[in-house]
Amino acid sequence: MSSLPCGTRNYSYAEDMAIVRTKTQWALIAAFLVLLFAGPLFLGNFWLNKINLIGITLIAATGLNILVGYCGQLSIGQVGFIAVGAYSSAILTGKLGLPFPVSFICSGLMAGIIGLVFAIPSVRVKGFYLAITSIAAQFIIVWIIQKWTGLTGGTNGLTVPDASIGSLVFNSQKSFFYLIIGVAVICVFLAKNLARTRVGRAFIAIRDNDLAAEVMGVNLFYYKMLAFFIGCFMAGIAGSLLAHWSVSISPDNFSFSESILYVGMIIIGGLGTTLGPILGVVLIRLLQVGVTQSTPWLQSALPGMPNGFATGITPILFGLIMVLFLIFEPRGLAHRWNLFKFSYRLWPFSY
Amino acid sequence: MKSKYAVFILVLSLISILALLIGCSSTPVTTGKELKLGAIMPVTGPAAEKGKPGIDALLDVTEYINKELKGAGGYQIKLDWKDSQYNAANVNTIVTDFTNSGVLMFTAMSSFEMTNAMGIANKAGLPGLAIFTSPNLYNPPAHIYGQMPDYGDDWVAFSNYYMQNIWKKSGKPKMALALLNNTTGSSVKDVANARAAAMGIEIVDIVDHSATTIAETDALTRIKAKNPDVIFISSTPQPTSVILKNAKDLGLTPSTVTIGLAHASFTKSLIDLAGKDVVEGVYGVYPTVTWDDTAPGIVKAKEYLMKNHSGDVDNMDYLSVWCTGLVSAEILKNAVNAVGYDVLAKGDANAWKAVEQSGFQKLNYNVAGIQGAVSYTAGDNRLAKSVKMYSIKSGKITSIGDWVTAR
Repeated sequence: MSSLPCGTRNYSYAEDMAIVRTKTQWALIAAFLVLLFAGPLFLGNFWLNKINLIGITLIAATGLNILVGYCGQLSIGQVGFIAVGAYSSAILTGKLGLPFPVSFICSGLMAGIIGLVFAIPSVRVKGFYLAITSIAAQFIIVWIIQKWTGLTGGTNGLTVPDASIGSLVFNSQKSFFYLIIGVAVICVFLAKNLARTRVGRAFIAIRDNDLAAEVMGVNLFYYKMLAFFIGCFMAGIAGSLLAHWSVSISPDNFSFSESILYVGMIIIGGLGTTLGPILGVVLIRLLQVGVTQSTPWLQSALPGMPNGFATGITPILFGLIMVLFLIFEPRGLAHRWNLFKFSYRLWPFSY
Repeated sequence: MKSKYAVFILVLSLISILALLIGCSSTPVTTGKELKLGAIMPVTGPAAEKGKPGIDALLDVTEYINKELKGAGGYQIKLDWKDSQYNAANVNTIVTDFTNSGVLMFTAMSSFEMTNAMGIANKAGLPGLAIFTSPNLYNPPAHIYGQMPDYGDDWVAFSNYYMQNIWKKSGKPKMALALLNNTTGSSVKDVANARAAAMGIEIVDIVDHSATTIAETDALTRIKAKNPDVIFISSTPQPTSVILKNAKDLGLTPSTVTIGLAHASFTKSLIDLAGKDVVEGVYGVYPTVTWDDTAPGIVKAKEYLMKNHSGDVDNMDYLSVWCTGLVSAEILKNAVNAVGYDVLAKGDANAWKAVEQSGFQKLNYNVAGIQGAVSYTAGDNRLAKSVKMYSIKSGKITSIGDWVTAR
């Protein structure tokens, strides 16, 4: 339920449906976008690298949120579909010489089509059993990549050529920033609007009670397939960006633990919201940066601790965060942000 | 109401931890004239049993070089090391960080880490020194150099030794390969497939496993069915210990079948993980001497080991990375003497080029006798080409031969 600032009323259907309703909101969004796209002017390569990774992760997480959060189809194999997109783009640009825009779209389509194959069990199974089939997707895809050495290079991986659109070549963190963040903004905008359409309402109906949805006339097979296709398409385009940004890819880039992390990100951020994946991805990726950077300091600052004690920090920290969120705030950071907005608007009144 | 406060405190704590972690991560402040050396080490994660002694050695050898050798060419070496957690995404981030932080060269512990770093490093022109290598790192040769021979070289050296000293029957011996499912294993597979027939060896089975495997009984049962005469394992210590234990349960012991290991797993960690009785009689290839050797450099290595990290006693990975420090210092010394500090101080593409051309490619150093001498040959980015054969006897790694030139 959204609330409006005091004194603001909706007098038309368009006003009622608007995502951005007031001039203040327009100004804030504009300021945010200006600040975001001006980032390369004041951020060094280190932080641009981190933001690029966050952007790529956000695209895939948004797709996963559509699948899991809106449609309720649990998938723990998102990184497998990212791998499909990455290798598709690497092969189409590197071996077939296709231009990047073509390979970008084809990567999404390829991942979406492969996603449809693994989506078929969703017609018959759900919940835990569907999660198992998605895990199978992850392992099968990575196994094929490892074994199909003639096409994928096997464990040696592939070197990926520079991405380019016309004369514009993306070969620096700054140039990739504009490409990745631009795509991420578009994906988030599309995801937000998807939730407000007939398709989005069908997804939500399936999530809340698929039997009732079917009785109402929602075609379960069609909409479940569509959810998988959209989620995997976004994973595919994220993979394409990842491949060109990383310069080289190998099966080790696409581990099962990353798939679990993606599910953790959208849970922590807030399932079924647009803001949720953004908050979850930013929190987890920044946490990873902090842990990686602080390990040398911890090792030297605490000589009295047993050797290798820092080994446990990452799994303990991430596991603890996920468990605490599931216990205390299962609706994620997005819900907590909404509550803050409500209380801010009502302050100092308690009603 | 109480849950509200609990959540509020939770979020505040999270933000504080995040700020603390990021705040503590600032790039070290350089004081005085220093030569910056980057290092990627898997201190945590599935290869921590190699990364932990590795970073111990790197810290100790840096202290030794800076204190007793007065640095490289008179300038102190500043070590900028990061824990990769044996994770490809982390490696990508770390090496990008290196290209912007004034690092003159970097080193990576494993072929897996260097495989994931080399794309960005080669593109930027940042020279790298791979401690444990695989052929894909320098085929074709670019800016990545191998400190020691790769796992394919290990297989060739072991196979030669096996054919000359162990195989006494007529015909071709049957060999099975148990390989880690990354470049550590694939390099052996490629070389074995290419050269086994010519060497008179029949490869009867190739099985791979992950770094986090906890059971390999199924794969070993398949291998046992092929009646191999020799099994060669190229992996890290943890999965190798699993394989050896499962093999013993199936009756595949060094007394019934010859077992050889590549140097990635042939270290004290393996003996500790698997147990002395499991590894007794196992052969291995390693590119350095052992701790009991009388090489001149062993004395200093032992001194710093006992002073700072006595828990790494008899650890071969420690010795390997001690050599990395010595080789890196020699490279930087060559570069400083050739082009001067002012060129290197910028830490940019010109500095990297100078380090590569005047440092790496002018290398001719005996590494204090601890490993094979390192030198550069045009077109071959492997700096050392010699390995030694060992066997594990009574829980100790024992030399059974002199240096052999790897292919």
